[in-house]
Amino acid sequence: MKNTVALTTSHAASIIADEGSFRDRNNRVYRSDTRVLRGVSSEALRNWQDISQETFFRDLVAAGKVVVTDDVSSSVDAEHATLRTWEGVLAHQLIPFISYPYEWSFGMLKDAALLHLDIIEEAISNGWILKDCSAYNVQWANCKPIFIDIPSFERYAEGDPWRGYRQFCMMFLYPLMLKAYKGIDFGLLLRSNLEGIDPVFAAKLLGGPTRLRKGVFSHVHLHAKMQERAAKRELAEARRLTESAKGELSKSFRARHSLAMVLGTIQGLRRTVEKMRSPDEQTTWGNYDTDHSYSDASLEAKKRFVVKHASAAQREMVWDIGCNTGTFSRLCEPYAENVISIDGDAKSIDRLYHHERAREKSKLLPLIVNLSNVSPNQGWRGAERKALEKRGRPQLVLCLALIHHMVIAANIPMDEFVSWLHELGGDLIIEFVSATDDMSRMLLRNRVDQYQNYTVERFEELVAQKFTIVDSEELKGGHRKIYFLRHR
Amino acid sequence: MRKIVETVSLSTILAFAMMSNAHAYIDPGSGSVLTTAIIGFFAAIAYTFRKYFYKLKNLITGRSTSGKRR
Repeated sequence: MKNTVALTTSHAASIIADEGSFRDRNNRVYRSDTRVLRGVSSEALRNWQDISQETFFRDLVAAGKVVVTDDVSSSVDAEHATLRTWEGVLAHQLIPFISYPYEWSFGMLKDAALLHLDIIEEAISNGWILKDCSAYNVQWANCKPIFIDIPSFERYAEGDPWRGYRQFCMMFLYPLMLKAYKGIDFGLLLRSNLEGIDPVFAAKLLGGPTRLRKGVFSHVHLHAKMQERAAKRELAEARRLTESAKGELSKSFRARHSLAMVLGTIQGLRRTVEKMRSPDEQTTWGNYDTDHSYSDASLEAKKRFVVKHASAAQREMVWDIGCNTGTFSRLCEPYAENVISIDGDAKSIDRLYHHERAREKSKLLPLIVNLSNVSPNQGWRGAERKALEKRGRPQLVLCLALIHHMVIAANIPMDEFVSWLHELGGDLIIEFVSATDDMSRMLLRNRVDQYQNYTVERFEELVAQKFTIVDSEELKGGHRKIYFLRHR
Repeated sequence: MRKIVETVSLSTILAFAMMSNAHAYIDPGSGSVLTTAIIGFFAAIAYTFRKYFYKLKNLITGRSTSGKRR
């Protein structure tokens, strides 16, 4: 990882305000293709100047836990009119691909939670704290979580509560508890609730004997009870106040929180999170890399084909969609700066994450995405969190043993699927799985066969309209065929 | 009679309207501060106990107390 952030002052016009960065009025993120800048208020700039001198903060940056940041206020181009309205400008290390918590596996969210707790504990022992605790403040570099929201650091005054507690519970603790204690994948809940899971809702999901699991009674049920009590009190007050504008508001609840209270809570949460395990971890972990229907010879032929075309050029970004165990993602690794490994199966992605995390400098980023319903544009004005395809453009897409799932299982017309692959903008290595293949026959077993057009001839006809077929090879005795297609 | 029904309906609608209006001003975070105070109270006892336990343990075993304990 670089220790300084390269900054050029050209391409002024290409800098645009990040549509997801607006909640903290003290700063805003601006992006171009090559860099990430952050306009900061005088208060946020002062905080940055102070914290960048702190040893603990420098250690966090050196360890790759906090994003590398430089003050570039003096070198900002005069053409950056918007940026010049801010008191200062910071430049951040570029994160290869922005991902969201609803695309992360259990292990990823757990590591992101532990990173947050690590940082808060270090900060608080040095007179600083994080003012919020959003899971969106964590991104991934080399399969390691990295904290990106520098203005979140603020001075800690002893006596203050940890204000990020509620957000930590909603965005990290409750989703992890749902998976660890109930086996429920949190992705869909986090995708529809961008603020996380509310304590009252979490209490309904984590009821019964689950109340006895570590941390559930205090962090979920007590929290929900307190929220409901406060809501009742405030509702009564609001009814009283609606009569006139002269009513007197009751004072907000204040209690002095000693350092021991805050540190004790954080350390308690750390023990709770560390002990949580995904129920998936206990199954089929020994079968790594054997989850396919190939003989050794056919698999080697497929690997050779992928390496032959992946190695033809050094690429910035490769997407492996339907990556399963990530075998083919790793084959592309020497020829790509970043490999985004996508699969709809949470278990496969969690397994891949643990595998990659153990490797030094892995270039893979495993993400859980259902490819027939990829992450959409959503949030405020439908722009706060971006659709998968809006966050990066792959130069090469691997689409191996996926098309039968899309066309037969998900009922996506083949021409639609080919068009979508073309819109991704990169060259394509794609494996066509014919209707006579055992895996396709399994998918067809309980369906009305309405897939007469699902033939290799029709497939070749469709791809030839949008790509140039450079190379192809039959696999599995002709039941499958792999292609290298050049985008045009 | 019709007037009574109209009045009752109107008051009911108004009551519900005021209720939802009031709901919109509830700060869900205010219960969380109380929760951190209660959890923090017990956590502080455990934290202090652990701190002195390790200090005592290190004193007995002769180890340095500078190491981080969790």
